[in-house]
Amino acid sequence: MTRLLRQSLLHRRARSLSALIALTVSAAVATALLTLYADLDAKLHHEFRSFGANVVVTEPIPELNFVAKAQQAAGPGVTSAAFAYAVATTDRGTPVVISGVDFPAIRKLDSWWQVPAWPTGPTQALLGTRAADFIGDEKSVTLTFASKPESFHGAGRLKTGGDEDSRIYIPVAAFTAWTGVQPNVVEMQVPGTPAEINQTIAHVRQALPQAQVQPIRQLIDGESRIVDRTHALMFGAVLLIALTVAVSVLATLSASVLERRRDFALMKALGGREWQMSTLFLLETLILALAGVTLGYILGSAAAWTISETNFHTATLPRIKVLPLVLLLNIVIAFLAALIPVRSLRSLEPAALLKGE
Amino acid sequence: MFLRLLYESFVRQRRRKALAAIAILLGTTAVTAMLALATTIGDRIHRELAVYGANIVVFPKAESLAVNVAGVDLKPSTGGAHLHESDLARLKTIFWANNITGLSPELPLTIVLGAPSFASSAKGGVSFAEAYDRSSISSPAKASGATSSTSGPFAGQGGVSFAEANDRSSISSPAKALGAPSSTGGPFGGQGGVSFAEANDRLPPPPQTIQARGLWFNHPFGTIITGGNKLNPTWHIEGRWPTQIPAHPCPTPCPRGEVVLGRNLASHLHLTLNSNISLQPNPTAPESLFTIVGIASTDSPLDNQLLFTLADAQSLANLPDAISRVEVSARTKPEDAFARKDPDTLSPAQHEIWYCRPYANSIAYQIREAIPGADASQVRKIEQSEGTVLSRISGLMWLVSIAALLAAGFAVSAAMATAVLERRREIGLMRSLGASRGSIAILFYAETGLLAIAAGTIGYLAGSTLAFWLGAHIFTGDPAGPILNLVLLPVIVAMALIVAIAGSTPSIRNALNMDPSAVLRGDS
Repeated sequence: MTRLLRQSLLHRRARSLSALIALTVSAAVATALLTLYADLDAKLHHEFRSFGANVVVTEPIPELNFVAKAQQAAGPGVTSAAFAYAVATTDRGTPVVISGVDFPAIRKLDSWWQVPAWPTGPTQALLGTRAADFIGDEKSVTLTFASKPESFHGAGRLKTGGDEDSRIYIPVAAFTAWTGVQPNVVEMQVPGTPAEINQTIAHVRQALPQAQVQPIRQLIDGESRIVDRTHALMFGAVLLIALTVAVSVLATLSASVLERRRDFALMKALGGREWQMSTLFLLETLILALAGVTLGYILGSAAAWTISETNFHTATLPRIKVLPLVLLLNIVIAFLAALIPVRSLRSLEPAALLKGE
Repeated sequence: MFLRLLYESFVRQRRRKALAAIAILLGTTAVTAMLALATTIGDRIHRELAVYGANIVVFPKAESLAVNVAGVDLKPSTGGAHLHESDLARLKTIFWANNITGLSPELPLTIVLGAPSFASSAKGGVSFAEAYDRSSISSPAKASGATSSTSGPFAGQGGVSFAEANDRSSISSPAKALGAPSSTGGPFGGQGGVSFAEANDRLPPPPQTIQARGLWFNHPFGTIITGGNKLNPTWHIEGRWPTQIPAHPCPTPCPRGEVVLGRNLASHLHLTLNSNISLQPNPTAPESLFTIVGIASTDSPLDNQLLFTLADAQSLANLPDAISRVEVSARTKPEDAFARKDPDTLSPAQHEIWYCRPYANSIAYQIREAIPGADASQVRKIEQSEGTVLSRISGLMWLVSIAALLAAGFAVSAAMATAVLERRREIGLMRSLGASRGSIAILFYAETGLLAIAAGTIGYLAGSTLAFWLGAHIFTGDPAGPILNLVLLPVIVAMALIVAIAGSTPSIRNALNMDPSAVLRGDS
């Protein structure tokens, strides 16, 4: 039996090869798409981080350790930045909004801020590009708050195209020392689905009962809509491609099987049983399918990694979890392809076929 | 003879042909559907991203510095520079005019609520005296205490320590700024100090100022209908957006225009739909009557404001043709290193290229050129992030399309290879009957080509329909584009041809190289 099997696979190499290629391609495609599909949502949500905060926590009069409490309640996966605001006057006597912030946190949260260089020193300030027009000396900015003047070194002009352009940002320590105002706004970027975001909001509300916790609905809803739709689109694509490949493989395999009617006729004439022939045939298919899945899994994982690396600039590692599904899919396809011809073997008339009809 | 052979081959070997045809058909269906989706995904996602707001803002160059936190204006704009609404028509003439998908000019103003002088409102809604009874009026300084409970998503973000910050000389008195109900936000509440009841007992009702804004609503602009409500699809309206009603002589008090109230303002003033409201642009100006045609929920500071049509706002503010800011939503190309270059430092040739690419920066540059006295800049938060999201999603679709293409290619060539392999006996017979290799090859390629063209065209039709159906189901509410993208047809058919011919070539060559007698004997 083993010998028969080996001979049958090796003797008609071209045919076995084309079946193997078909099965490998189908396994590779299934692996690549399933691997990509498995962490598509996480990758897409990650892209939406660039939109910045989607939850704003405010406390009218901040309690002790307000910022730390809010950040702790939100959990480790949440990027956040604290803001304190006051209105001061510039050296030209124009009122301007001053904000005390932690620059490294902002840099992480609000990636769209365009600055020549991020301030590092304790008295360095970022000047909004429009606010800068109302300042006499951008290198040494003198601001007055409640008759208390204070000097800052301008680190450059900040450009965002939003409200930030007409504000001045200074380090929070200097801000608090100068104005006596503590940060009372924490902007958070909470990753995940709306349900997960709501859960985080509930945590924060529980930890800070006096605070206002406001989700920015248009961001959250927009994000979940786009992620859902892309997900649905990918699902459609995966199904479509899987179907195409499956049917093509089916066509290829069953054609190659049908062609072997002569072999079967000969076996039948020599006294082979139907079940023996079917077993031989299914075993052959199984071996091809297994080899195809092994090769296809490797190729498909590589393809998923390449797609992910080119598109999202993050690697998608091979997932062993998709293997059973791919295997199942391929074996089903292969058996389906084998079963149709096997059924037609029953009605085979060896004599007529061998004669060459 | 050749044609007859071809014809017979299709008629007699229907099953074999059908198998190959099905493989080509499915392959082209999948590829067409994926390509059709990939080519439109950019537009679709751009439309989805529109809820995030405009990506370019235009404002007067000589604007005074805005003092606002979280959309709350702490220093109500006092005159200042304006742009002209009539200049907006010039936007239709810029190079990338067709990429402008929406624009929303606005004019903020402050409105004084009129005295309850008329008892019979035109439509018999709630009378003003009832709606706005004494208890809800308080001195402006304390009014903030009442309104601090109202909150949009940004409410309370502005923790400005205003009383301290306000340097006597610098800003208009805090009472003025805080008096407007639009000053949402807790921080002010606590500082008000005096409770409502107390204030109410002691003070006569002074006129109440409300921040208002004039906007376009469903305004025609070139071929598009645009305006504030179009640019912000998340705004919800109960009732309808205001329209401009033509001026007509009217002896008795009758509505002069239509107005929409922000949700919070409406509940604060106890005003309902279809009632009338008496407004004056300043305490000394004559009052005019407006009909409330809608209550808007915007989740923004506008929830505490009055919304007029731009023309009504201009006439109330006595600033004909004036606008203070324009939001523009434009279809742009994601920014790359070249886009960030300063156009004025580029060589003329490079400048031309820069100018003729739909970067947000180039469109802003063209807007600056088109509208006198205007400054335009991209809203980086929206533009930068949209760019990445857009390129990631469409990139993903393209890569998956390529995967589909490869898979379909393999599948089709495998099927073709098998189809030829099956017919080696036939080839052997033809050769032994004296057919030349060339004529056999031509026959086989002609068969393959016919099959590829026919199945490819059907696959193209099926794939287009499938893509249309998928798109319509996933992106509900999108305007439906054309089902067929004719540019794809030659591409798809050509690909089907190439793949089918490439797939069958090795088998055909193989079969031709065999010894006919061996094949015919059935040895191989």
